[in-house]
Amino acid sequence: MVTKTSADVVIVGTGVVGVVIAEQMLDAGHSVLMIEAGPRVSRAEVVENWRNSPLGVKGDTSVAYPSRPWAPHPMGGEKPEDAYLQFSGPDAYDQTFIRYAGGSTWHWAGTSWRLTPEDMRINSLYGVGRDWAFDYETLEPYYVRTEHKLGICGPADRTQQWPQTGTRSAPYPMPALPFSPGEVKFTEVVKTLGYNNIPVAQARNSGMPYDGRPACCGNNNCVPVCPVAAKYDAETALHRLEKKGATLLVDSVVYKVETSAQNKIEAVHFYDQHKQSHRISGKLFVLACNGLENPKLLLMSTDDRNPNGIANSSDQVGRNMMDHPARSFTVTTKEPFWSGIGPVVNSGIMETSQGSFRSEHAGAYFRYNNFARNRFVTFAALKKGLVGKALDEEIRRMTACTADIVAAHEILADPNNRLTLSDKKDWLGLPKPSIHYDVGDYVRKCWEVYSQPIGKQIAEAMGATDIKISPKFNNSKHIMGGTIMGKDASNSVVDVDCRAHDHENLFIPGGGAMAAGACGNSTITMVALALKAGDAMVDQMRGA
Amino acid sequence: MTRQSNDPNGKLVMSRRGMLLSGATLLAGTLAASLCPTISLAAVDTGAQSRFMQLSSLLINHQLNPDVGARIAETATGEYKNFAGMLDAIIAIAEQKQAKTVEDFFGDIPEGELRDFAHWVIFAWYSGCSSEKRNAKVFTYEEALTFKTTSDILTIPSYGISGPNLWTRPNLPLSAPMPTF
Ligand SMILES: Cc1cc2nc3c(=O)[nH]c(=O)nc-3n(C[C@H](O)[C@H](O)[C@H](O)COP(=O)(O)OP(=O)(O)OC[C@H]3O[C@@H](n4cnc5c(N)ncnc54)[C@H](O)[C@@H]3O)c2cc1C
Ligand code: SF4
Repeated sequence: MVTKTSADVVIVGTGVVGVVIAEQMLDAGHSVLMIEAGPRVSRAEVVENWRNSPLGVKGDTSVAYPSRPWAPHPMGGEKPEDAYLQFSGPDAYDQTFIRYAGGSTWHWAGTSWRLTPEDMRINSLYGVGRDWAFDYETLEPYYVRTEHKLGICGPADRTQQWPQTGTRSAPYPMPALPFSPGEVKFTEVVKTLGYNNIPVAQARNSGMPYDGRPACCGNNNCVPVCPVAAKYDAETALHRLEKKGATLLVDSVVYKVETSAQNKIEAVHFYDQHKQSHRISGKLFVLACNGLENPKLLLMSTDDRNPNGIANSSDQVGRNMMDHPARSFTVTTKEPFWSGIGPVVNSGIMETSQGSFRSEHAGAYFRYNNFARNRFVTFAALKKGLVGKALDEEIRRMTACTADIVAAHEILADPNNRLTLSDKKDWLGLPKPSIHYDVGDYVRKCWEVYSQPIGKQIAEAMGATDIKISPKFNNSKHIMGGTIMGKDASNSVVDVDCRAHDHENLFIPGGGAMAAGACGNSTITMVALALKAGDAMVDQMRGA
Repeated sequence: MTRQSNDPNGKLVMSRRGMLLSGATLLAGTLAASLCPTISLAAVDTGAQSRFMQLSSLLINHQLNPDVGARIAETATGEYKNFAGMLDAIIAIAEQKQAKTVEDFFGDIPEGELRDFAHWVIFAWYSGCSSEKRNAKVFTYEEALTFKTTSDILTIPSYGISGPNLWTRPNLPLSAPMPTF
C-alpha cells in the first residue's frame, strides 16, 4: 500500500533511471513512491523559456530550466564562488544536469551507443582501468529492453550497427533516421579516409509515433528540449506512472538516508520548499538522483554505523568520477555542409574508440554536430560591419560552411577523481558538491598522438580553410563512476545488481555504477543497469 | 475538453468554435498591432516609432515587422539618450542621397555615435536581441533576420519545417538564390 509517507518501493529522483524502475515495480504489483527535488513543469513552459532566451545564451543547455532555490543545479554564467558545483584539480568537472521532475533527459541529445564487449574488459584486454563485474552478453538483453522501453531507433543493417562485436539479439524498434545533407557529405568525406560514419542509435521516434509520442519532424531542438516529445525524455513517463498508481512528491529534496540497527535502510528524509522536514519509510529504496547527486547524498548521510556515509565502507563513494572528456574542432569549409537539418546528433564514427592502442592511450569517438549554425555565426558575421546584401550573404555562407566536429574520449576510473562535500552550503543549508578532477595522461596522450591528428585530418578532408580547436577538455555530461560496481565489497560500492554491498535493501543504479565508460554516450547503459536492478528488486520483493 | 468527453458532438462543436474564436482573436490582435503598433508599448511615442521603422527600412532591405520594431525602439529610447536626434540625422543622410537601399548611403554615416547606432539597429533586427550578453533584451526569436537568410533550407530550431523523416534533400550550393524576405 502506498501512502504519502510510505510505500513498498521508495525511489529518490524521477529521471530516466528512476522512472524505468518505478514502472517495473508498479507492473509487478508493488506500491511506489517517488521523491523529486525539483518542480514539475509543462513542456510548453520549457519551450517558451528557450525561445525567450537571448540568442547569445541559447547554447547554454540549462537556460530553459532555471533552477529552484531548494534544488540547485548548475546554471551557466554563475561566478565560480557562487556556483553549485565546486571544483579543484587541473580540469573542471563542469557538468550540467536538471533537477526537475523528469531529470536531465529533458535536455539530452538522445544518442544511445551500447558499450562493446571489449569496453567492459579493458583491464583484462589492455591492462588499464577496471573491468566490469559481468560481461557484455549479460548486459545485452537489458540493452534490448532499454531500446524498446525508450524507443531507440537505429539501422537494421548489421554492418551499420554498434557494436560490431558481441550479440545483438533483437532489432531496433524503429529504423534509423535519415541523414541531413551535411551528414551525407561528412560520411562521404570520412569514407575517403577509411572511417565509417554510421547512423546514431537514438531515443527519437523515427518515421512513426512510438509509446504515445509523435514522430520526429526535424525541429533541430533536441538539446535543450524537444518541443513535441518525439525524443524520449523521462517527463513523458510521469503521467503513465501516476495512472499506474505511483505517488509523486515534487519540490522535495532528500537530504538523509536513515539506517536501522541491522544496517538496512529504514527511511529517507526530505525538505520541502518551506524547509520543513519529512520522513518516508519503505521496504526497498532506490537512489536515482544521478551519478553526482547520489554520492553527495550518501556522503551527507552519516550515522554511527556508517561514519563515512551510507554504502561507503569501501571508501569508494564519490571516487572514480568519470565523463567523456571532449574537444571540438570548429571547421570553416569552402563548400557548404548545412548543419541543422534533422536532429542535432545523427551520426558518428565509433570504430576509432577500439583497438590495441588502448593499452597506451584512450580511444575517441568522433561526431558531426548537426545543430543549425545561425546562433553560432550571427554575432561574428555582424561584427564584420557588413550591411545589406553582403551581410545576408555572409550569414548564409557562415551558416552553411561552418561545422563542429567533436572528439569524445574514454577516461579511466581513478579514485583520485573524487566528489566530496564542500564547506559551501546551498539554499537549504546542505553542502554543495566539490569535485577534484584530472582527465589524466591516458586521455591527454590520446589527444596528442591520436584524436587530435585524426580530427585535423578529417577537417582537412572536409576542405577546411580554418580550424579552431577548443583549448581544453569539455565535459560531455555523462556522469559516471561515483558509486562504482564490483564483486569485491572492499573496493566497490554496489554489486552486479546495483545493490549497495553494505545495505541489502538499497539500490543505486545508473551511471555511478559504471566501472568503465568507453567513449559513447552512456545513458543507455545506465538504463540497462536500472532494468537489471529492477529485476533483482522484483525477485527480492518476492522473497520478502 | 475532458469534461465534455461523454458528448463527442458537443466536444467537436466546442473545440471548433474555440478554434475559430481564438483564430479571430489572433487575427484581430495581429491586425491591430501591425496597424497601430503603439497600442502595446505606450512608452515610445508614435512619431518616434514610425521614424524608427522608417530608419530600419533604410538600414535593412527587407520587410520588417512593426511589432518587433516597437520593442527595439522602446529599448533604444532607454539606451540611447539622443535616440530621436540620431533617427533624424541618419534618415536625413539617406534622404540626401535619395537612398533606396542601405548600400546607397551607409558609407556616408559618419564614424562614431551615429555609425555605431546604425550598426546596433541592424544587430537588433538580425539577432533579435539587444546584445550578445546573457542579460540581453529579447525582441524576437523566430523573426530574427538571421533565420530568414537560411529559411529555404534550415529550420528555426524548435519550429519544424519538414515532416517525419522528410529532411533528406540535396546539398544547396552557395550560388542558390537568397530567400526573399
Ligand atoms: C546537454 C546534455 C546532453 C546529453 N546528451 C546525452 C546523449 O545524447 N546521450 C546520453 O546517453 N546521455 C546524454 N546526456 C546525459 C543524460 O542526460 C544523463 O545521463 C541522464 O539523464 C541520467 O539519468 P538519471 O536518471 O541517472 O539522472 P537525471 O536525469 O539527472 O535525474 C535525476 C533526478 O533526481 C532528482 N534529484 C537529484 N537530487 C535529488 C534529491 N536530493 N532528492 C530528490 N530528488 C533528487 C533530480 O531532480 C532529477 O530529477 C546529456 C546530458 C546533457 C546535460
Ligand atoms: S529533431 Fe525536433 S522533433 Fe526531432 S527529436 Fe529533435 S527536437 Fe524533437
